[in-house]
Amino acid sequence: MDGVELFRYSKSIYGGSDALIGASWDLLPWFVGAGVAFIVVHAIAMAIFGRRHA
Amino acid sequence: MTVTSLEASAAAQAAPERVRRHRLVDRLYHWAMAACVLTLMATAFLPIVGIKFEWLTIHWTTGLVLTALVFFHIVRATIWQHLARMMIDLADIGNGWRGFMRLFGSGAAPGKQGKYNAAQKLYHAAAAVLVLALVASGLLMLLKIDTPWWRRNPYLLADDTWGLVYVLHDFAAMALVTLVMIHIYFAVRPDEWWASRAMFRGWITRREYDAHIDRGRWQADDA
Repeated sequence: MDGVELFRYSKSIYGGSDALIGASWDLLPWFVGAGVAFIVVHAIAMAIFGRRHA
Repeated sequence: MTVTSLEASAAAQAAPERVRRHRLVDRLYHWAMAACVLTLMATAFLPIVGIKFEWLTIHWTTGLVLTALVFFHIVRATIWQHLARMMIDLADIGNGWRGFMRLFGSGAAPGKQGKYNAAQKLYHAAAAVLVLALVASGLLMLLKIDTPWWRRNPYLLADDTWGLVYVLHDFAAMALVTLVMIHIYFAVRPDEWWASRAMFRGWITRREYDAHIDRGRWQADDA
């Protein structure tokens, strides 16, 4: 199984090594997912523990 | 009723019902920055997810506006505002620890906050790092496009160095998406609405001030 690429490269037209041109946009869903995960975990924790301390 | 309680009662009645939290200039800055960040995100990421349009000119001109706003904010915060209010101090760490332990049902309740709580200060620090990285890398990237003020010069840096600049810009932009999501989530939470509302109207009520704020850490009359 292929892993998630971290970087983007361009192919050298001269046959040399590939040039680094930026971060991989495949990571964007992971950053969005991290935000969603934080929000869900915090909301659940506050719903449970907030009620306990109310 | 004692003289002391009479004086306290009189002071409470004399205190204004509204406590200023954000001046108009700071609210305008906040919303202008929000508009810039959302515009920059839309012009950066919509083409990537398949919504194609002429994004580059909007992106770099908005980036220049954001740069000016950030410069304005740094100067204003350094000279005319209280930088220390945004710094995490021992009281924040103690409150954070008590709040964390309380999640597990033990320990005392956290103390009241200063003008900002520990989470807001942490968020501000993270956002500052990301936005400054974006501004610095974005200004460098401007040298690779033609503008009304200069011609592009892609040979200023070596290819590998340009790659690192782009990597920094890309990672900071994606991380900022996460931060913006978290920011909006906290802004709309009912228990944080008293603070969020102040970013619209500038003030909180005296009752909100008394409920949330440690007077020793933020005096209402020196907002």
